[in-house]
Amino acid sequence: MKRSIPLAIVMVGGILFMIQYFIPHQHSQTLFDYYTQWAPIVGAFALVLGVGSLYRLHSHKIKRKAKNWQYSYAVLVPLFLIPIFALIMPESLGGGIMQNMGGDRVTQGVFDFAYLNVQVPIQATMFSLLAFYIASAAFRAFRAKSALASILLIAAVIVMLGQVPIGELIGKWFPKIGLWILRYPNLGAKRAIALGVGFGMLATQLKIIFGVERNWLGGAGK
Amino acid sequence: MNIWEKMLNVDRRWIFLLIGIACVVPFFNPLGLPILPSAEVMGIYDHIEGLGPDNAIIVSFDFEPGTAAENQPMSVAALRHAFARNIPVYVTSYWPLGQAMAAMAISELTDESLEDYFKYVEWEDWASIRDQGIVDRAGIEEAWTAEGNTLPENARGWVFEGRDIAFLGYLPYFHLVILGMTSSIASQFPTDVSGTPLEEMPIYQDHKSLRDIDLAVTSAGGSACVSWITYGREKIGLPIAFGVTAVMATDYYIFIQSGQIVGQMGGLRGAAEYEVLLKENGYNKGYGKAFIGMDVQNIAHLLIIFLVVLGNIAFFAGGFHKKTKLKGRR
Repeated sequence: MKRSIPLAIVMVGGILFMIQYFIPHQHSQTLFDYYTQWAPIVGAFALVLGVGSLYRLHSHKIKRKAKNWQYSYAVLVPLFLIPIFALIMPESLGGGIMQNMGGDRVTQGVFDFAYLNVQVPIQATMFSLLAFYIASAAFRAFRAKSALASILLIAAVIVMLGQVPIGELIGKWFPKIGLWILRYPNLGAKRAIALGVGFGMLATQLKIIFGVERNWLGGAGK
Repeated sequence: MNIWEKMLNVDRRWIFLLIGIACVVPFFNPLGLPILPSAEVMGIYDHIEGLGPDNAIIVSFDFEPGTAAENQPMSVAALRHAFARNIPVYVTSYWPLGQAMAAMAISELTDESLEDYFKYVEWEDWASIRDQGIVDRAGIEEAWTAEGNTLPENARGWVFEGRDIAFLGYLPYFHLVILGMTSSIASQFPTDVSGTPLEEMPIYQDHKSLRDIDLAVTSAGGSACVSWITYGREKIGLPIAFGVTAVMATDYYIFIQSGQIVGQMGGLRGAAEYEVLLKENGYNKGYGKAFIGMDVQNIAHLLIIFLVVLGNIAFFAGGFHKKTKLKGRR
């Protein structure tokens, strides 16, 4: 039962909505509307599982005093405190959530403060670090060791210079050749990859719908 | 260890320092080099330029703070263009953190301390005009100014909440939300983020579903933008414009060539190109953050190319292409 019911739901649902897409009738549209309203609600239950699982993992780590257990507090405290400040606490006590920033309705509670002064800079910093590592990696690894590597290197240099205004000062043809590389050789290769991925996805989805591919069930029913 | 080997084994922290200097110095000594808009960016600009108060667009903040340096300026530029042309805008977000990025963009454009800002009129403030049954954009502005409201000197125009903008925000499973909006926007977003019912808003009266929307600008830091093609463009023919990070831009030229998107802003360069178009056409007196940031890219790109060339010279001059391993193993 644990395997056959999910398989039946996937098969019926998959075939139904494949057919629904091609039926321009009011009943078909109503069914589709119901689905788009229900699916996020059903999916929201995954949040309960996710939070529960995260809490269990880190509370066990703290109880067992496992390696780096102190960091688990950094997960659990904001996990519960931030929603309390955002959704429960009154604005006078630092509660509230950033809504429409136009006009005078600007809140600056704990939630907003944490978002603007912790989350935004942390995420931006993580992404910015790429520039440093890319520069270091390019210096050490980007070698014209073979004909193909040389072509890659030359193309990279042209595209990099073509993407910045200073490249045009160095040579007016840099942006033109850079764009040509992006619009033709790059596009051809990407198109081939996209088609391959597309056919692969189609095949996998058909296999899932018809029950050939069952890995998504995990260990259910075993 | 000879000089070439020493060079190849240089401590990586020196390279980090050089990149750090390259990122900081241009902010103090701006180069301000001219940027020529590409056909990909002009495609988006021309599309929005062809719209007016009777049309409507969506600007979707489909990114998180990590890629804000690239994505935020392009979203701000598209919003500025729409506000300046009085095109009604629905603002959405694919990710939870994107909603706050959207709020920050609206805040930036309506910040009264900045030049060329848009004076934001809250929903409650123009209730008397709605009560008179005035719904067209020109009529609303006329009635508003007739009530004694004057546009501040450094402001570019008015933004009426509910008519010029509806901030819908984030919903989970956004690809399903896009699908749902093809039938009805209000079915997915019964209210805006402030709790105002969407069905009461003048913007909604003529733009009830994605079928009534003339363009969706998705500014994305991941593959979220493709959902707009899959569920918006391919299902109902919704015109789409991409704003993506530079590393993603190469992936999406296929959608330009196939005609599935009207254009693409690729990375900071794409955003800077849009800012140039806005300034050249009188929608902004100055340039935005992307144009300023391009100075950093100028120097950083040159530096990386210099490092690559230097690395290759040392590699071949030192004869390391004949050896299997460097002593330092760096």
